[in-house]
Amino acid sequence: MLCQVCKKREANVHFKEIIGGEVRELHLCDICAKEKGLGESFFPNFSLPELMLGLTELEVPLSLEKGAECSGCGLGYEDIRKKGKLGCSLCYQNFREYLDPLLEKIHGKVYHSGKTPKKGKRKDRLDRKVYELRKRLEEAVRREEYEKAAEFRDELRELEKGGRR
Amino acid sequence: MRFQTMANVTSRWLKGDGPEAGIVFSCRVRLARNLEGFPFPLWAEESKLKDVSGKILDAIKKSRYLKNTHIINMGELSSTERRFLLERHLISVEFTRGGKHRFLATEEGEMLSLVINEEDHLRLQTIFSGLQLTEAWRLIDRVDDELEERLDYAFLPRYGYLTACPTNTGTGMRASCMLHLPALVAVRKINDILKSISQLGLVARGLYGEGTEAQGDFFQVSNQLTLGLKEEEIIDHVDRVTHQVVEQEKRAREALLKRNGIPIRDEVGRAYGILTGAHLMSSQEALDLLSKLRLGIGLKLLPGLTIRSLNELFFLVTPAQLQIREGRELTPLSRDQLRAKLIREKLSKVR
Repeated sequence: MLCQVCKKREANVHFKEIIGGEVRELHLCDICAKEKGLGESFFPNFSLPELMLGLTELEVPLSLEKGAECSGCGLGYEDIRKKGKLGCSLCYQNFREYLDPLLEKIHGKVYHSGKTPKKGKRKDRLDRKVYELRKRLEEAVRREEYEKAAEFRDELRELEKGGRR
Repeated sequence: MRFQTMANVTSRWLKGDGPEAGIVFSCRVRLARNLEGFPFPLWAEESKLKDVSGKILDAIKKSRYLKNTHIINMGELSSTERRFLLERHLISVEFTRGGKHRFLATEEGEMLSLVINEEDHLRLQTIFSGLQLTEAWRLIDRVDDELEERLDYAFLPRYGYLTACPTNTGTGMRASCMLHLPALVAVRKINDILKSISQLGLVARGLYGEGTEAQGDFFQVSNQLTLGLKEEEIIDHVDRVTHQVVEQEKRAREALLKRNGIPIRDEVGRAYGILTGAHLMSSQEALDLLSKLRLGIGLKLLPGLTIRSLNELFFLVTPAQLQIREGRELTPLSRDQLRAKLIREKLSKVR
């Protein structure tokens, strides 16, 4: 079997990981394995999903194909996709279109519910409320319940005004 | 010199005094954090790495929990010294590359450590003996709270803590247990167990080289998801699944002892024989044989030995530990010789 990275040398390092009942395997040659940091340590100290992220092709959202750059770190979408790693905290906002489906693929369709830094707590309650109100507003519009939609819209405006204060 | 002192001290979590420590070698919780306004280390230029490490080191110095930590500058270490820290589970393979403005902060017992400018700006880790994930989480949570008072963490309500890799986004938390499952391997149930672990939403890792069972029978189980769950929920889940695996391993151990357990007594006895008689021992062979001995202790076949002494031995005989203790570089052959000698000495003291 040939190495999955260089596709030239014989693979002699074999990894197997089972996630959600799905078996993923990775076969590498010594040289590529070493490059990926998978040395002789008997405690596997790496993450196969992370390696895989770098290897798999993800769908490219149209708007990002034209070489958009992050305003924080200057990285393009291509840099990030190749490495499977983000450049800075602003990438989360700038590449939202690409990240949302990716994060959903990894974690499911969810909102953060763990720990929140004290500084972020007030902002968190507000953001979460805004997030939920938007969803309800969209739902009301879809159902053509315009009176309700107007209520939600006013509530949202109030909240956003408060947030700026 | 400091490393030699370290090499002579056993990490507290190796002492094997935690619950279920015969099967759960260790448990670990780590949190990934980044500072707002700086690129993640992979992409950051040197001056930014310097600023980040400066801010974090300052926060560490002012911390009540971390006031007794040693700060180790990775850029100043030899490759053996970096390897030494890897073998002690203080740094990752990635971090053994070293480099400027990269630091490790660790307190004496090595239960608590921080890594600066690895994949994320800051990673906090606690390791406990046995199955004590809740305790490990409580400790790291407090340390994190304290650091947060002085550090501006990158955080968005929607995504949680922002990390370099999207597989860590959210809580930034990985809770894992290192399990020693020789009996499940011996009765050939390990694949079923690993499969069911994964169906329960956890990741099971084993290093599958040639001859799978020849890897010391160690497996690491950890949470797969980091976003959308509370930290306590993740901890609870990993804890529950690990408890179930521990029960299965215990049952497999009982099965091995049925009908006088002659085959398993034979295997353990032979392992003991080789370990006490050999004059050349590779790290791989040592790992395999010590794993059998560890099982033998669990089965009460080796009354003079303790889990603690075995745990220590596992670490004493890894390549970098040997060289740091000796205070010089050793050829593979002299390592094998020294390893064999050390094992003979340690085991002979017992009987």
